Amino acid sequence: MSVQVIFLLAFGLAAVWFGIVVFRTHSMVRSALALLFSQTAVGAMFLVMQAEFLGVLQIMMMATEMSIMAIFMVMFMMDPGGLGEMDMKHQRKLSLWAGIIAFGGASGLALFGDWGPIATQIPDAGEQVRLLGIELLGRSMLIFESAGLTILTAMIAATSIAVQPPHRPKETPDKSKEPYQVHNHGGAA
Amino acid sequence: MTLELVVTLIIAAAMFGTGIYGALSQTNLVMIMMGIELILAAALLNLVAFWRYLHPDAIEAQMFVLIVMTVMAVEMAVGFAVAITRFRSRGSVEMEEAQELKG
Amino acid sequence: MSSFVLIASLIFATYGVAVIEEWVSTNRLRLAGPLISTLRLLGQENILPRKSDRLFFEVGPVLLLIAALLSLAVIPLAPGLIVTDLATGALFFNAALAYVLVAMIMAGWGPDGAYGMIGGWRFLGQLIAYAMLVVMPITTVAMRAESLSTIDIVNSQEMLWNIAYQPLGFLLFLFAGMAMAFVPPFDLPVASGELAGGVEAEYTGVRLIIFRLGRMVLILSVSSAIVVFYLGGWLGPFGPDWSWSMIKILGVAALMLSGGRMLPRIREATLLAWSWKLGIPLALANIFLVGVLVLVVPL
Repeated sequence: MSVQVIFLLAFGLAAVWFGIVVFRTHSMVRSALALLFSQTAVGAMFLVMQAEFLGVLQIMMMATEMSIMAIFMVMFMMDPGGLGEMDMKHQRKLSLWAGIIAFGGASGLALFGDWGPIATQIPDAGEQVRLLGIELLGRSMLIFESAGLTILTAMIAATSIAVQPPHRPKETPDKSKEPYQVHNHGGAA
Repeated sequence: MTLELVVTLIIAAAMFGTGIYGALSQTNLVMIMMGIELILAAALLNLVAFWRYLHPDAIEAQMFVLIVMTVMAVEMAVGFAVAITRFRSRGSVEMEEAQELKG
Repeated sequence: MSSFVLIASLIFATYGVAVIEEWVSTNRLRLAGPLISTLRLLGQENILPRKSDRLFFEVGPVLLLIAALLSLAVIPLAPGLIVTDLATGALFFNAALAYVLVAMIMAGWGPDGAYGMIGGWRFLGQLIAYAMLVVMPITTVAMRAESLSTIDIVNSQEMLWNIAYQPLGFLLFLFAGMAMAFVPPFDLPVASGELAGGVEAEYTGVRLIIFRLGRMVLILSVSSAIVVFYLGGWLGPFGPDWSWSMIKILGVAALMLSGGRMLPRIREATLLAWSWKLGIPLALANIFLVGVLVLVVPL
């Protein structure tokens, strides 16, 4: 059992444990930050697997992303502090079994798959960054550009969905204000 | 020895299962998005593990990871935009109250 | 030996930043000032707010300190004086400081107080304003050095410091760094005039010491990043390398702390508007400009 396995196990168990905490805690901010630490542990696993750039990127991106998630949780939940012990789950049995089957299937595949020998020689971190940069602006440029374009589209779409709509008149407007309404005030001509 | 790879894949499987459980069991849109984030994190973990232990010379795998990260960001942005609109018009983002979406 | 020198100089620099901070805010230079206030806070009662989220309340200040210390790990004070020379150092600096936000949200949410919570969430808005302006100038610095390693970045400035090569990037990074370290006029999360201390409001005693120490290390780390990215790091005409790093770092810290005092505290909405409508176009223009410069006049 190498040092790498021990670190992978440690960070991996942390990631899974924080992932479970996300759905067990009642406090919404705790839930979002538990997801953050789960993602950070995944980033640390990337670092253990010597994918330095991706690990640092994951750790950096998730801090911001999950903090934003936390504020949305506080905005949209009825009980963000979790003091009321609200129940927010449905279809418990179905989802539990779906989760267990997904886990069992995927880990069975991992255990019984024929993976062959694993690689020992990998490019060092600086070389990886260089290769990734060349890949991004070389053969994969079209894919990368479409990812950028997707983000742009998503930004525009999200903004246009989320902006406050201009004030429209109510569905059942006050009849007295409409111009074609004839007012009859009991014979007062 | 493939112990490292198998350990990583099983951990990813556990995260995937947790994500599926969360996405199906939660009644709130934001919590469902958290489940989806966990599923995507499991996918990222698998991609990096396959790159590291099976094909370290194929740097396209890291490229793929960047694309999945993009998907995560896009999913968050659009999801929150939908949540804002829904909250503004209906006053909540609870899925149990979204019966009109049922076909 | 070198690790001892490194730790000693970092402690010295942190203390120096604390002295400068007190000097600019009270207008009195007291070399023993930080020591005295630490002793005073040690004697203070440790108050625990009612119905607090105890975990976040305790972890917040510690996480702030850890994040700031981690970001210092990639800052070289001299060629051998660096904790770890990562191949992705410049990115790692940013990643570590992203956790300042998490720490502020934790510390703001934890004590269950209105001022603290507003302060913590304000910092999230502030991050959305400054985050791009930190990353984009770092991109241009890395473009010139053709590396993300901080040591390579300093070496690339042998001929001409980046402050002269890309002054626009320096200005953007300086302001973004000030917002990142929440020094005035960007001290929205701890605004003492309007929020009664904001995130700091509910903290007393030892926890407040850790919080303030974390903030001092954060200011130190941001100013040393400015030195490494734009002011040539340890490069100097004569004398030992580390002394130049030290002088520049303390100078930048003094500049940030005293310069910001002159300005009125900026509003959150104004900060966001300026950084997205003015700052990001300028940063993009800077990337283009430096790209052309690197190709045409590679100094």
